Amino acid sequence: MTCHLSKGLSAAFSNGEKMSVFVDGAAFRNTVHKGLQCTDCHPKTVPGTHPGSVYASREAFSRDASAACLRCHDKGQITAKPHHAFTAAGGDVPPCTACHGGHGIRRISALASGLTENQYCLLCHGQRIGKTLRNGDWISLLIDTTDLAASVHNRHACSQCHAGYTRQRHPSARHGDSREHSIALSGVCAGCHDNKAAAVRNSVHYNLYLQLGETMISRGNPRAPVCTDCHGFHEVGPAALFRTLSGTPCRKCHAAVFEVYAKSVHGMASAQGKHAAPLCSSCHFAHDIGFTAGTGKMKAACIGCHEKVEESHRKWLPNADLHLSVIACAACHAPKAEKGIYLILHDQAKNRPVTREDLIDLLGADAAKLAPLVDRHGEGLDSAELSYMLRRLEEKGLGTGVTFLGRMDVNRYSDAHALSLKKGAVRECVSCHAPDAPFLKNVNVAIINAPEGMTRLRAAPGVLKSAGAVGALRQFYMLGGTRLSLLDWFGLAVVGGAVAVVGLHLAVRMATAQGRRARTGGIT
Amino acid sequence: MKAGERPERIYLHPLVVRLWHWLNAACFIVLIITGIQIRYRELPALTEFKTSVAIHNFFGFLLLAAYAVWLLYYLLSGNIRIYFPRNIMGFISGMLRQARYYAYGIFKGEPAPFHSTPEDKFNPMQLIAYFFVMFLLLPLQIATGVLLWDVVLFARPIGLAGGIRVVDIIHVLVSFFTVAFLVVHVYMTTLGRTPLEHIRAMLTGYEEDHV
Repeated sequence: MTCHLSKGLSAAFSNGEKMSVFVDGAAFRNTVHKGLQCTDCHPKTVPGTHPGSVYASREAFSRDASAACLRCHDKGQITAKPHHAFTAAGGDVPPCTACHGGHGIRRISALASGLTENQYCLLCHGQRIGKTLRNGDWISLLIDTTDLAASVHNRHACSQCHAGYTRQRHPSARHGDSREHSIALSGVCAGCHDNKAAAVRNSVHYNLYLQLGETMISRGNPRAPVCTDCHGFHEVGPAALFRTLSGTPCRKCHAAVFEVYAKSVHGMASAQGKHAAPLCSSCHFAHDIGFTAGTGKMKAACIGCHEKVEESHRKWLPNADLHLSVIACAACHAPKAEKGIYLILHDQAKNRPVTREDLIDLLGADAAKLAPLVDRHGEGLDSAELSYMLRRLEEKGLGTGVTFLGRMDVNRYSDAHALSLKKGAVRECVSCHAPDAPFLKNVNVAIINAPEGMTRLRAAPGVLKSAGAVGALRQFYMLGGTRLSLLDWFGLAVVGGAVAVVGLHLAVRMATAQGRRARTGGIT
Repeated sequence: MKAGERPERIYLHPLVVRLWHWLNAACFIVLIITGIQIRYRELPALTEFKTSVAIHNFFGFLLLAAYAVWLLYYLLSGNIRIYFPRNIMGFISGMLRQARYYAYGIFKGEPAPFHSTPEDKFNPMQLIAYFFVMFLLLPLQIATGVLLWDVVLFARPIGLAGGIRVVDIIHVLVSFFTVAFLVVHVYMTTLGRTPLEHIRAMLTGYEEDHV
């Protein structure tokens, strides 16, 4: 101890680290190890060759030294405590001394009274500890104290989020996998952020389904994001962070859309640091993210920034209000996007869309059988099938107020983000008002089911020009694009008939002119 | 008329009526041409689509104003009765006579069975045609045209009428009948003693009555 009572001595490691070799004898005599000899824990230390060992790093030394703990504390004793058990099971676990200290060794619980709650928790969670989940995955339980200090929760006690964990009580939770772990821990956010949690519960993120038949996260679908997917765990940043391009978490899952957005007029403005440029949450909102296609939500988001859009369109666009009500902004402002006509089933009496659930209830089908029930031939809904759908709904009690409202929108959601500069927008009327416009061949019946999504049933392209669909599509008409050819033939017959009668009459008059002149003395 | 006879000149068409008639005619022609341009985009375009729509809207409202002038004039003057038959039996027999004349007698050089007077201007066939045009077709065309001019503002009446598709079909159907009427009407104006007699009367106001 002569050497190790001197405060000036230190050991050097191969990586350049140095460690003081001072041992506080008084502190050591206050520990449970006070009866041990130095060589009981340092068996490799032989007076004749000490100091002789050279370790690669301080950690390597600590690990080697901690191996001595097993001489008295066997694995059974260590794993008896639940939070030792899974850290000892595998992974890059810290040495015993990292939590318990070296010569001033204490039970962790004995350290509690001298530390704040967070300091106490970080005794262990400031180390590289982790746990093994039921599926065999190992997750880190290390808290980066720098991140924590920089977060907006840096004044919170650990137990404010990790309810049930105290200095005296540390229950052991083992989740099935890391996703289950994230979802479970995100549940605590609602404790303080109940309004945001309520908004999320109404969102497409909470009620996500990817195709008919898949369950929603509200019923256990783990694929939808939860609070920590966007905000992180201990590194929760301020709201201002999410208003920057680099701070937007949506890119994690929507990378393809982000790529399109980055090249758009909004993306380029965001990259240039223009504060008014919208990010994801500007249009989709942050928590109550809903499905926007086919609804008025996206338009409301655009008009939220572009307040004078209605006035500015009225200066050059005939029937501007009509155009703005039936055409999605992206249909004209993402000029390269593929567009289509969406016939949305609408209950005019209740002034809301007829939803997928309404149809399933009324038509007695489940989600998977809805399409074959209405598109009986599988070739796209024709006029007869559209009329049949309306008739069935009327019979089932929705009344005669159900009709299809036509909308034009882009076909791919990512294209809706490819907004161009103003000069690139569609301005030529004949781009749309033409009988051979491409989008007229892409007609869909859209059954809105916000906030989750929209079910699309393909309609036969000729349905818009079919006389049989006049009843079903009585509220949809597009100048120059949805002419009924039957009407044109009728017109030809009427006008042609008039011309024929006149022509015949004139011909007979001309043929009989000579005879009339003879009878009337020169007057015809 | 025999040689040496002078026809009697009757003041048949007051100035208001003549002005209204030619304004109406101009509106009809412009509306038909622009209507064809709007509906049949595949035909050679005389103007841009937007311009056709703008001209169509303008002349549509001009037609509405002209109709209002016509209606006011005929109601206030009391002359609206010339659009209605005085007695049904006389009307039916007159119509048969007139139809015979147009289908046969005119080719033989027979005298016209009907002579216009300011109080009884239209022969029975003209009466029924003009009645349908002025009291049914034109009001229907103007009404559907106004609804189509702003389908957002007039969403409720359009809904009551059965939907925008129905309103548009009516508008197009009436336009076909209007074109047919125009073809026949222009031809019928040439059935006077000379081809331009009736047209001249609608310019000067004076019709020559060959009694």
